[in-house]
Amino acid sequence: MPTWIGQAVRNGIVTTRYPEVPASESEIPPTGRPPVPTQGPNSLRAGVSLCPVGAISERAVDQGKCIRCARCLPGGFEFLGPVEAAVLTRSALAAEESPGALSRPIPPLAPLSRSLHVFLVDAGSCNACNLEVLALTNPLYDSQRLGIFFTNSPRHADVLLVVGVPTDEMVEPLRRAYDALPAPKAVVAVGVCAISGGAFAGIEGLHDSLDQLLPVDVYVPGCPPAPVNVLDGLLRATGRGRRT
Amino acid sequence: MIGSSRTPSGRPGPTSANPDLALAYAADDGSFAVYNDYSSGHETIRPGSEAEGSRDVVATWRRTSDAWRVRPAAPVEAVEGYGVFTFPYGPISMGVPESGRFDVRTYGERILALSPVAGYKSRRILSSVCGQTVSDAALRIERLAGNFSAAHVAAFLSAAESATGASVARGELWVRALAQELQRIYNHIHVIARVAEAASQNVGTAQAHALAEEMLRVQGSVFGHRWLFGALLTSGPRRRLDPAERRALGGTLKRHAEAFERLWELFLGSRTFVDRIQSTCVVAPSVARDWGAVGPTLRACGIAWDDRLRVPTSPYTDLFLDLPQESSGDALARLLVRAHEVRASFLLIEQLLDRWPVTPEALEAPPSSLASSRGLGRVESPSGDLVYDVTVSRDRVVSIGMRSASQANFPVFALGLRDGVFTDFHFAWESFGLVFAEVDG
Amino acid sequence: MTVNIAGVVLTASVAAFFVGALGSFIDRRIGYLASSAGSVGLLAVAVTVIVGGSVTGATWFGPLGASEGLSLDALSAFFVLVASIVWTATSLYSLAYDDRRSPLLAVTYSLALGSIALLMSASDQVLFLIGWETMTLASYGMILQAHGRGDRVYSAAFVFLAFGEASTLFVFLAVAGFWVGTGTFTFGPHLGPGSLATLVFVAGLIGFGLKMGIVPFHMSEWLPIAHSSAPSNASAVLSATLTLAGAYGLFRIVSLLSSPPLWWGAVMLGIGAISALLGALFASVSEHTKGLPAYSTIENNGLILVALGVALLAESDGLTALAVFAVFAALYQALAHAVAKTGLFLSAGYIEHTSHTFDLNSIDGSVKEGSPGEYAGTIAAVLSLAASPPLAGFVSEWMILESLFQSYRFGQSWVQFVGLLSGAAVALAAGLILVAMVKFAGFSILWKPHASTPAKRTPGLGAVVAAVGTIVVAVGVLAPWVLRFLAPSASAVLGANVSAPVGSLLSVPADWSILSGSPFGIMSPPMIPIALLVGATVGAGYYLLGRPRPRRRVKLWMAGSPPGEPGQTYTSFAYSTGIRVMMSSVLGTREVRESQGPVAVAGVHAGEPYSVDLEVFDSFKLFYAALVRIGNAISDALKAWIMPGRLGRYLAYVLVVVVAVVVYVAAAY
Repeated sequence: MPTWIGQAVRNGIVTTRYPEVPASESEIPPTGRPPVPTQGPNSLRAGVSLCPVGAISERAVDQGKCIRCARCLPGGFEFLGPVEAAVLTRSALAAEESPGALSRPIPPLAPLSRSLHVFLVDAGSCNACNLEVLALTNPLYDSQRLGIFFTNSPRHADVLLVVGVPTDEMVEPLRRAYDALPAPKAVVAVGVCAISGGAFAGIEGLHDSLDQLLPVDVYVPGCPPAPVNVLDGLLRATGRGRRT
Repeated sequence: MIGSSRTPSGRPGPTSANPDLALAYAADDGSFAVYNDYSSGHETIRPGSEAEGSRDVVATWRRTSDAWRVRPAAPVEAVEGYGVFTFPYGPISMGVPESGRFDVRTYGERILALSPVAGYKSRRILSSVCGQTVSDAALRIERLAGNFSAAHVAAFLSAAESATGASVARGELWVRALAQELQRIYNHIHVIARVAEAASQNVGTAQAHALAEEMLRVQGSVFGHRWLFGALLTSGPRRRLDPAERRALGGTLKRHAEAFERLWELFLGSRTFVDRIQSTCVVAPSVARDWGAVGPTLRACGIAWDDRLRVPTSPYTDLFLDLPQESSGDALARLLVRAHEVRASFLLIEQLLDRWPVTPEALEAPPSSLASSRGLGRVESPSGDLVYDVTVSRDRVVSIGMRSASQANFPVFALGLRDGVFTDFHFAWESFGLVFAEVDG
Repeated sequence: MTVNIAGVVLTASVAAFFVGALGSFIDRRIGYLASSAGSVGLLAVAVTVIVGGSVTGATWFGPLGASEGLSLDALSAFFVLVASIVWTATSLYSLAYDDRRSPLLAVTYSLALGSIALLMSASDQVLFLIGWETMTLASYGMILQAHGRGDRVYSAAFVFLAFGEASTLFVFLAVAGFWVGTGTFTFGPHLGPGSLATLVFVAGLIGFGLKMGIVPFHMSEWLPIAHSSAPSNASAVLSATLTLAGAYGLFRIVSLLSSPPLWWGAVMLGIGAISALLGALFASVSEHTKGLPAYSTIENNGLILVALGVALLAESDGLTALAVFAVFAALYQALAHAVAKTGLFLSAGYIEHTSHTFDLNSIDGSVKEGSPGEYAGTIAAVLSLAASPPLAGFVSEWMILESLFQSYRFGQSWVQFVGLLSGAAVALAAGLILVAMVKFAGFSILWKPHASTPAKRTPGLGAVVAAVGTIVVAVGVLAPWVLRFLAPSASAVLGANVSAPVGSLLSVPADWSILSGSPFGIMSPPMIPIALLVGATVGAGYYLLGRPRPRRRVKLWMAGSPPGEPGQTYTSFAYSTGIRVMMSSVLGTREVRESQGPVAVAGVHAGEPYSVDLEVFDSFKLFYAALVRIGNAISDALKAWIMPGRLGRYLAYVLVVVVAVVVYVAAAY
């Protein structure tokens, strides 16, 4: 007769060892990595017309806009960027020496060097980012082992994790959530919707980027970012992110 | 015209033009169904006979400047009484990770009436894709509800193709079916995990979430994207479906199917779990029929409607699909239906992989037409019947209407929870698999 | 012969109430001032008696040739002391509270106080009965002075009168039985065991129980107060001191009956425990600012009965130490309840004054704006009634539970069992009353937003509530000394010299602790505030001297919705609906729904609004309804049989009586 304990023993330990070891292929699908031009400026020039969201310019790829739709692949791009793509400034996502800039070591946000309590706010997402963020609590990622916990109230949290493109309707609730967070606090924008509007940039009634509304401390690009990408972003807030 | 035909004569009870179809709310004369048309600037009303003939849905939602205002997603039941007050739950709560509000009328403990309020996270997607090319629009449509992306894109594309009359390669249809079935399995397991989480079945929750994560990884490895964004578009990330990879996929899925069977047996063996969800949030068949419930919610109260069987398209016409239904209409029944469907979907995928077509997988270019033409696309999304109504002109979307499974199921969720207690809320909510993103658009 | 100053003061004080009642016809302030003066006088005499021994006031020869008059011994002095504390507060409060009512309120108020003073200081049982009956009539008059007279007021007052007269009947029976047994009306001789003693005990328990509002007579307590919304000063007098008179009667009976059989104590204990539980249960689901305290009175009087019951059982079983402890517990309970309950009713009066409502659901924030005295006094009273340390109610509740814990000492297993069940009921009652008290404080003051309009300031009311609160704190913190002060009264109950159950343990100073039997529990009320103070000092020192830490200040979070929207705040009703649902079999909870007809929005069914009412029902009402039906049936039958309206039959009655008298007289001589 099967039992829960038997089931648990049979399955063994499934938890990833990230960030001690690099993310495995199963943990990070191709689209979990930023696209990089394989033929330098030629790729970039070809990519400008292929990109539906205007993430590619002749000088660099703006990872804060890229929705990983793969349309640029015929123009000489590959999903080969680093898994650790989270950054502390918006401009670093569009840096010219991308993707090297993405993995530069970054100092922790001073007061948040240890355990993090995270409050998730959906400002207007498609639900994929929500599910990827919450997947961190499943046994395969087990964010608790790294001291990352999700709270039920912003009043218990250190970090406001925002997903989705902020809609007009969510501006006030978002502001209330931010105000309810006790200082010191940090804001983590997860997914390109929160960073630049992503696929929804430019629609009337939406706020293309979260940093127009709140001071964002960490940007996690991706559409949606895979759980390890989110984990990297949260670890970066504590200065414990994996170096590449 | 509208005013007179919609004025209720006597009791404005909800009746549907076609009980089995049960698309949405209908007026007292049963003449039209309603869904949210986000694109047309004015109301369109089609008489019942016409709707009957074409089995079409008709838009009645006027798009005005306040169409995007936060609004109730289900009928508001006003309850007054001594000590009764409104308890607002949301829009931001971890119990419901999406943004949406529930106004609960209560005198404490008991839910006298529940009105879900949607619209907080409306991204104006449907109106924004008007004027875009079909393939650009698809990028937004697949991000309408991330965990139902395959169903939405498939329905949208099939509506667009039906409008333009484009023929689609057989292989392409099989890819769509594969993607949809994979996503259905993921969603059902996720729902089971969430219900178990609400019931504090900690070991079971962890195991189910782990299995759901494995399914996401399967999707990621086959289609290059964990949520199948771009998977059904020819421009999307590479799909690995050569024979060796199909064999490998079959093997992996067989393992996961076995793991699911073990897991489900354990869940059903857990008395505390079964007792808690049994007779929680019961949806009566009459309510489901009248309010137009769809999907597992409908099938859990004994009404057999599944688009894959009732309005089958290729490749479902060629496959064997067995879908037992439940009759008690409670959270347990909805979960049992989902478990059956997980099984059925694993079998479907097995058949798909066995009989994979050898025809090229490329989409034939649709003939470009000057005149605008309208097409309807329907698929069975994980939560139920999903309808797209797309008008296309010169490969560009002219207008678009959509009725999602969540829109259809919100009223029955709200009605089912009436007279329940607060502690029932999360069991009920999770068992319906409702997604605010799909309602808000 | 020295002048008996105390006796003169006693006589003058009792007379002051009656003079005040007459004076109230001229100006209601005369009545309240005279009542205040009388109360202060009684207070002084009572203290003198407890410290120095009995005092006799005016005496005269009564109708039956015996000497009767006013006197106080240590037992009656205790009750006079408690009552006079309450009356001093309510009389001063009335000066500020009663500014626009009929002078009849002041008249009946003074009269009620005078009657209670008279019965408590009566030296014999005839005067006691006279005081008892005038007390009932005066209280009836007081209830009739409620705002907005109507059927509810009259029927509530009538119910009170009916229960009151039934009570007089049984008390009369007890007195008659005592007279038959001892041949005297004085409180001196004891009545030995026997069927006569049983009659006196049962009649006394029913008669005094009726006034204390214990189950199944609890209607007599809550109904007049809640249904008529009697004036607050009257409510306090009714709830705190009228029931105290009942308790006094019960103590008197217990002290006059020797060698009680086991079942007396068991019955008292059982009834007391049921009363405590039901009182607490109904208090927790009451939404009325006066109904809730009234139900709480039922709970508290039940606890007095519990303690007395344990004392009787222990006495029958020869467990002297436990008996002594239980008597102290009963006395303490009477004191703690009377004072705290006064505070609660006066607070309800304050709420009525500022918010113009008796409904906990519709109190606005203006109470909060009032005076800090009212605020603090109410909190103290509420915490005491919820038995929070170190307040008065905590000490008595602790003592009662400690005595129940020792029911394992009883010789017979069925007595142990009764003790066990009663202990469980009392503990459950303590939990439920906590809900009730949190609800009262929460929905009247604590959880209210500040009102936009400044409240009408009535500092006099707040000051009195604050004073009552201070007494509640003092009686709690200084419990060991209060207990020693009460030793003469306890001795009077037990008929033997006993000392207070105080002692010491570890480094706590000598006699700072209460001991419940030498090897059992110990608790030191004075140490609690000291410990709190030490803790606070250490905390403050740590805070002031330590590294400054950033304050984490956040705003209210309501799941992203704007907080404080009208109609979206938790109601007092909702706070206790859980209890209504859980205890539905006891409370008879039922839901009444009324549809308002279906509604359509743009032709689409948009629901069917309805009104809803979740009602609780006191199932004892059925008992009384049946009683009324039976009574009516009997009187109808008698009417048809004895009084058919035929003259011949009536003449025959007269003839029969005349013959009977003639025969009796002839036989006597």
